[in-house]
Amino acid sequence: MSDPAVLTLADAAQALRRRELSSEDLVQACRRRIERWQPRINAFVSQEGRNSGHEGPLGGIPLAHKDMFYRAGRVSNCGSKIRRGWVATETSAALERLDAAGALDIGTLNMSEFAYGPTGHNEHWGDCRNPWNPDYITGGSSSGSGAAVAARLVFGALGSDTGGSVRLPAGACGVTGLKTTWGRVSRHGAMPLSHSLDTIGPLARSAADCALLLAAIAGHDRRDPISSHEAVEIGLERPIGSMKIALSTAWIESNADSEIAAAVLGAARALRSAGATLVEVEPPDFDLLSAHCLVVMQAEASAQHAQWMRERQQDYSSAVRVRLEAGFAIPAAQYLEVLRLRAAWLDQWKRLLGEADLYLCPAIAVPIPTREQTGPRGGAEMPKLLAGVTRLTRWVNYLGVPALALPCGFDSRRLPIAMQLVGRPFAEGTLLAAGHAYQLDTDWHQRLPPE
Amino acid sequence: MAKPLSAEVIEAMLAAQDIPLAPGRAERLAPGVNALAVADPLRAGLAFEVDATTYLSALSRNK
Repeated sequence: MSDPAVLTLADAAQALRRRELSSEDLVQACRRRIERWQPRINAFVSQEGRNSGHEGPLGGIPLAHKDMFYRAGRVSNCGSKIRRGWVATETSAALERLDAAGALDIGTLNMSEFAYGPTGHNEHWGDCRNPWNPDYITGGSSSGSGAAVAARLVFGALGSDTGGSVRLPAGACGVTGLKTTWGRVSRHGAMPLSHSLDTIGPLARSAADCALLLAAIAGHDRRDPISSHEAVEIGLERPIGSMKIALSTAWIESNADSEIAAAVLGAARALRSAGATLVEVEPPDFDLLSAHCLVVMQAEASAQHAQWMRERQQDYSSAVRVRLEAGFAIPAAQYLEVLRLRAAWLDQWKRLLGEADLYLCPAIAVPIPTREQTGPRGGAEMPKLLAGVTRLTRWVNYLGVPALALPCGFDSRRLPIAMQLVGRPFAEGTLLAAGHAYQLDTDWHQRLPPE
Repeated sequence: MAKPLSAEVIEAMLAAQDIPLAPGRAERLAPGVNALAVADPLRAGLAFEVDATTYLSALSRNK
């Protein structure tokens, strides 16, 4: 075998079970790639392994996670200066469950400061850089998770998604990322940003790999008050021929970049060829729902950070400080009314889907910008660029429903293009089955960034 | 249409929460803050009894 690190998680697990490879082989293969890639993409914060792995569904598989999942005795910097060197006293529920499944945890991954940025810039820990071209953003806030999985430095990684923070790096880095239903995965022991929106989900090399990781981490946990009792049903075998997929072709054609529109509509045709039925629907009100998402996110994030904003404002980057300042200007009644409206919009979502199982749209509808365009010296166009990047992710967080981002092409700059499948509450299994069916017929997810 | 918040009001809101603002910052914040106060067509029909704490059960009901 040439490089075991480029296997999918599912194939690596099978090779371990058959004793064709050892866990040590996988770790060494990942370490070799980390040595080569880390100077180029800055995906890792720490490469300190913290557990030994054991038998289990993920037994001996090397993973690493966004530097905001606490592990007792380990530093979680949360991408910040304020929490630099902070040592957790307990282990997050998600890491506990991965440990129980036998996975190895070989380090911590770069992220946007306090998970509050959509690009992967980080002035405290250095920008994470896109493996396909380091001049371009990785997407954020789970920047290191997207970059590390894309460069095959680990077989999978956890991220968090409050406004797109799993799907944006998955989309920009060309990997598969699952934003879970709000309440599907316990947030206990994970850094909070916005409790009404925060979700935890996997980034991996395929939908099948995401399914393996989700199976390990999903399910009720009494330590997270919004953790759901809904059964975890992940069946990749659900036939694509039984699925109806809604989409809004005219909206995509008139709003998405032309290369992105062509790739996403091509993916829709591929799903139809695989047996799915396509259904044209009116698009959700992306911009209104995104605005509602921002009201909730900004108000809650600012409340979460209030004391540090009073005492240590100078220790935030200017970008994060501005976002936090804005949240203090949102009236409490406006914030609560937007939350009260959420169920009514969920009802609208159900009506929009009608008989359909899921909704297909781009993950990112604009060309991926450079780090310079969206960094501290980005200039007057930066807010518009950032709004374009996040336009199709935040609405999903407001509704709290699951979404899967997966690669469906490359643009003329050889950067990934991603589609997004958005589902009904707790229908992660449907999304993963559709994504898996698509990936059985395509090879976008198997392509490797240039060495 | 809701009346937009002025920079002075935003500065006062933050000051009331003991959040200092650099000079000129409130003017920069105002457009973004006001852009979030969108007219929602569902607001008029929102039942009086709806509260914000029951969303998880709404998700379960709408699977």
